Amino acid sequence: MNLRLAGARFKNAPTAAALALAAAAMLVPANLLPVLTTETYGQSRSDTIFSGAVELWRQGLWPIALIVLTASMLIPVLKLVGLGLLLLGARRGASSDSRRLTRVYVALDFIGRWSMLDVFLAAFLAGLIRFGELSTVVPRSGIVAFASAVVLTVLATQAFDPRSLWRAAPSSSS
Amino acid sequence: MGLNAPLICHLCGQEHRAIRLEPGEKALCVRCDAVLAQGVRARSHTALVFAITGLALAWPAALLPFVSAGKFGAERISLLFTGVRILWNSGMRALAVLVLLCGGLLPLAYLVILAVLHAPTRLDRQKSCFRLLVRSANGLEHWAIPEVQVLAVLVAMIKLGSIVNVAIGSGFWCYCAMVFSLLIAQHTSRFNPTVPLSAAGATGAAVPL
Ligand SMILES: [Zn+2]
Repeated sequence: MNLRLAGARFKNAPTAAALALAAAAMLVPANLLPVLTTETYGQSRSDTIFSGAVELWRQGLWPIALIVLTASMLIPVLKLVGLGLLLLGARRGASSDSRRLTRVYVALDFIGRWSMLDVFLAAFLAGLIRFGELSTVVPRSGIVAFASAVVLTVLATQAFDPRSLWRAAPSSSS
Repeated sequence: MGLNAPLICHLCGQEHRAIRLEPGEKALCVRCDAVLAQGVRARSHTALVFAITGLALAWPAALLPFVSAGKFGAERISLLFTGVRILWNSGMRALAVLVLLCGGLLPLAYLVILAVLHAPTRLDRQKSCFRLLVRSANGLEHWAIPEVQVLAVLVAMIKLGSIVNVAIGSGFWCYCAMVFSLLIAQHTSRFNPTVPLSAAGATGAAVPL
């Protein structure tokens, strides 16, 4: 079979698994460390991804809180669970689940980008809110860990070869 | 290339024989339903027009005021990459580069590649530079994500609304228009990233081999 696909050489399950594990490890500091510190009149408040979203909820901005929670917590976790399912499916090879798992792969490939939301948000706030003593937003190390986790999950999805879900499957013919 | 080359599904590896498609028609993989090819009007310039429009909008988007914030008489205007500069200066250089790439440079590179691929003087499809461009476009699709930056700015505006006076600048509108142009160029491209390289540019598509 002629498989002239971009980067096909770098697509393999062990690489995808290693990248997914690294991403899972980075999600721990990403969620425990503060991502932003807001300094207002000498008072300082540091927020993790979760506490930032909870604060938005408390202010009544629950649609925004839901968007942040989905992009920053739900999507990374869904991506890792999905990748785990795909890697298990790839070990098994072609089965009645291959079609469904291929759809999971397409969905993961699409949703992954949206978890970059918090990274752009931190960069934007840090650039805009700089009023010295009055109010300043400072990015913290949690956002670096979070960005690493997001990049690793995107790389893990790219390293996964969806054709491995169909290996040894008989070719359909009409 | 064209109708003689087999179409290989990029998701499941199933090979298909190419057939000619009418504009608007889609060929799906018999095994996994992935879109293998789309029929496009041979002389359609939509992708080229929107790619060039996007490129033209990128400059005002980067140079004009993006968003301004005011508090107790103090006003601060930020440009598209002010946040990148702040991240860089606070020692988070890798993060600054990531934001600069995903929100600025890679979308720009993607627009340039789409414009070159759809330019009236067609590149020879057998040449390695053509294949490299199609491959680059496919790779960039994952990393050029300006639409996520637009959502982030909107979220920030709502978040800040109760604390400071925020106003959207013309740079942000240009950036939104650039993102819109990029999405249209991407979706009307004859070199859609979902179509495998072996079929890129073919107006034909699929019956299983
Ligand atoms: Zn397929």
